Amino acid sequence: MVDLPFTLFLTSLLGAILAGYACSMVGTFVVRLNLASIGFGMAHAAFAGAAFAIWMDIDPMVGAVLFSITMAMLLGPISEKAKLKTEVVTGVAFSLSIALAFIFLNLTPGNAASGTALRILWGSIFSVDWYDVIYLGMLAACITVFVAAFYKEIVALMFNRKLAEAVGIHTRYFYYAILILTGLSVSLSLKLVGGLLVYALIINPTSSAYQFFYDFKKIVIFAPVFGIASCLAGFYFSLVMDFPIGSSIVIICAIMFAVSVAFSPKRRRG
Amino acid sequence: MSHLKENELVIKLDGISTIYEGERNPAVHDIDLMVRKGEFLCVLGPNGAGKTTLLEAVNGILPLTSGSGRVLGMDLEKKDHSIRKRTGYVIQNFDIDPLAPFLVKDIVMGGRAGKLGLLSFPGKKEWALVARYLEEFGLIGFDKRPVGKLSGGEFQRMLLARAMVQEPELLLLDEPFSNLDAKMRGTVEDVLTKYHNKTNFTAVMVSHDIGNIPRICDRIIIIDNGRIVADGKKEDILGSKEFLALLPGGMGGK
Repeated sequence: MVDLPFTLFLTSLLGAILAGYACSMVGTFVVRLNLASIGFGMAHAAFAGAAFAIWMDIDPMVGAVLFSITMAMLLGPISEKAKLKTEVVTGVAFSLSIALAFIFLNLTPGNAASGTALRILWGSIFSVDWYDVIYLGMLAACITVFVAAFYKEIVALMFNRKLAEAVGIHTRYFYYAILILTGLSVSLSLKLVGGLLVYALIINPTSSAYQFFYDFKKIVIFAPVFGIASCLAGFYFSLVMDFPIGSSIVIICAIMFAVSVAFSPKRRRG
Repeated sequence: MSHLKENELVIKLDGISTIYEGERNPAVHDIDLMVRKGEFLCVLGPNGAGKTTLLEAVNGILPLTSGSGRVLGMDLEKKDHSIRKRTGYVIQNFDIDPLAPFLVKDIVMGGRAGKLGLLSFPGKKEWALVARYLEEFGLIGFDKRPVGKLSGGEFQRMLLARAMVQEPELLLLDEPFSNLDAKMRGTVEDVLTKYHNKTNFTAVMVSHDIGNIPRICDRIIIIDNGRIVADGKKEDILGSKEFLALLPGGMGGK
């Protein structure tokens, strides 16, 4: 078992809880609005941004936020008008992001970058500090307020965008707010979960919750419960087994999803 | 409720055209149309004639490429969402994921979302409206049903309830009877007639099926290839050659 100093244990624990909450909450929108390809693109853009920041010798999180939000703003209109298939968007965005990341890392002098870059790629329990916890806390609060304040608009948008638009809701503002919150969740969870795996934390807990409930309110409550539980269990296994934390979280998420599908009352007959 | 005087125009379109992105030909072309307050207008035409496009141009979802229009006293060019807050729109049935996580009551309440405005929450009055219209459209006990579990007809009636909850001054109906059996069609017609008599809302209903013209309809226009080819009182249009051309086999000839 990894023996962590108490402060590091606390920041990692809080980081895991908050990342689980933020990612699974935005996941409720991403899954329903079919933004999976954009989320995937943003996760890898965040990694490219972090690599850029390492090259520029600034905080990787700043680069991650900038790149993922930029990617969201580029992919948002494409997806919105649905002129390209999602797999095309994913393929281009993913490969471009990874290509950029490799170039930035290649440009970074010396070997100092490699450790940091690898940590960002698959996440690390040792990389979360109090600033990360505070940023994640602020993001979690923003997402909660967003959902609580605009619940009726969000449900209308999730059900059918044209109908939401038809009753006078400015759906575009909500759509872009969702993209920005997703980009921030991806970027701020990057250090803990890793660029390759953060996407799973967005999709899996929500997809698990979808197996049990028909009421969107319950999805909004239980997706974060699944997300936080995955992160806490992943955190525990990471400490006990000395696994990378991102991998542990994602394996737990995947098992949770498989079990949810197997026991889903929605898939039962009668 | 209405800011419009009796006989005032609710819809006034002057030579409007609109075109879908990526298309070369306008979906509706050079349409002139005036609809007075309280009229129940039926828009007939074959599939692909531009009927749905006309509805979406009227509520401002589709931007105009030429011409000008005023709906409920507001310019369409200004893309003012207030038009939509006062306009109920029942879209054609669409496929919904059977596992979709939405309950009927929340979707019906969605009709009220624009009118309530941002940062306003539905209260007792709004939930009472939801219950009333669910009852009117034969959906008592459906409030907590998942929308993905509804039959085509139930789903359509839910969309009608959703539009009526909005208490619209203008109601746009896109093939509202397409999934209803004869009995339910009668029920829906009765509800629409009752509230039309009560609130004098204006309605534009689109149908490709000439058997679906409701009793309450007092005027018919026929659209073909994006243009209005006939416009008049119901009794005048029903015998016209443009109407007969819509019959199976196109008895009127074109």
